[in-house]
Amino acid sequence: MNEVPLLQNYLVTSSLLFGIGLLGFMVRRNMIVMFLSVEMMLQGISLSFAAWGRFHGNWDGQIMVLFIIAVAGCEAAIALALILVLVQRSQTLDVAHWQQLHEDGQSRFNEPSVPATDPSRIPWPQLTPAGIEPETDPEAESHRKRI
Amino acid sequence: MTVSCKLCLATIDPAVLIRNPLIWGILCGSVALALLLPYRSRQARWPGVVMGILGTGLVITGLPLELHWSEAGLFYVLTVITLVSAVATISMENAVYAAIWFALSLLGTAGLFFFQGAQFVAVATIVVYAGAIVVTLLFVIMLAQPDGQATYDRISWARSSKTVSVITAALLVTLLTITLEQVGPSLSAPTLPTGLLEKEHVALLGKHLFTEHLIEIEIAGTLLLVALVGAVAVLIHAKEESSLDSISNDE
Repeated sequence: MNEVPLLQNYLVTSSLLFGIGLLGFMVRRNMIVMFLSVEMMLQGISLSFAAWGRFHGNWDGQIMVLFIIAVAGCEAAIALALILVLVQRSQTLDVAHWQQLHEDGQSRFNEPSVPATDPSRIPWPQLTPAGIEPETDPEAESHRKRI
Repeated sequence: MTVSCKLCLATIDPAVLIRNPLIWGILCGSVALALLLPYRSRQARWPGVVMGILGTGLVITGLPLELHWSEAGLFYVLTVITLVSAVATISMENAVYAAIWFALSLLGTAGLFFFQGAQFVAVATIVVYAGAIVVTLLFVIMLAQPDGQATYDRISWARSSKTVSVITAALLVTLLTITLEQVGPSLSAPTLPTGLLEKEHVALLGKHLFTEHLIEIEIAGTLLLVALVGAVAVLIHAKEESSLDSISNDE
């Protein structure tokens, strides 16, 4: 394969992936989607590292990617734990809830009004009934209420 | 670094820039993103999809690819899967769909690693990300957000900040691409891969990893342990506090 065009392709792809991740982090308010966007930025950087490693013909690019994966694992563990704590406190995944931590003199973000959700627009799955209803054991029902 | 950037930007010929389909592709893609990102209604979604297809096509025609057609086709398919599912990840209103699209984007990235001959990295990406992180994430979504379509998912800050964010991201990507176009021709005679494409790929990678990067391995292991302990400590602490809160509320 021709190495210079290959490197250029990978760098364009990685910068696009990084840009999409950055955009998601800046625009979205759901903490989980923001976390996903950070992971996407890390993916873009990984692609770029691997491409440069291939171009220079040494292993360091790929080894850097391995360390990025390790650090991303740590970040995922702590970020998800923190998200769970924050959700337990505020009952919402919205980062705008935490703007009460702002400094004096900063204006608050005022939420624009949102039209109510039309229930008919929510795509519920349509399941076709299949088979026959199994007979339930009354004794099992007495101690396992979910059945 | 500033000097090199200035040099790159000083030598840009506007005519070359206008004829470059990559730049137009990035522009179309940013318009598509501005339309696709959630803001109040879904009416802009289909124009956004059309602009996105246009932008992807332009980006692909702008990529320099001097490969056999089968290899080029494979690369195009992998790139399109990665980028389209990345866009879908940040534009889905429901966090569960976002996580699943993110997993697809990871599979595309792993394919790109494979395309480059980085086998171990590709498999590690699939195992660690798609296997562990996405599944954990789905559990967290299950615990944290039983009903989708919350207000904060349907409006992303305000319209102006959304537009400014899209413009910023598009500018960043365009500048990176332009710099690359300027640097590209000056890259001379790449070193041929030594051992990267051999049969004993994983063995060679492991040898390199455990001889020249031994200290880094130890540090990464310590970091993983610390992160594990930290995550557990955060949750235990929160649990104690919330139980104290409920006790005080009961009283």
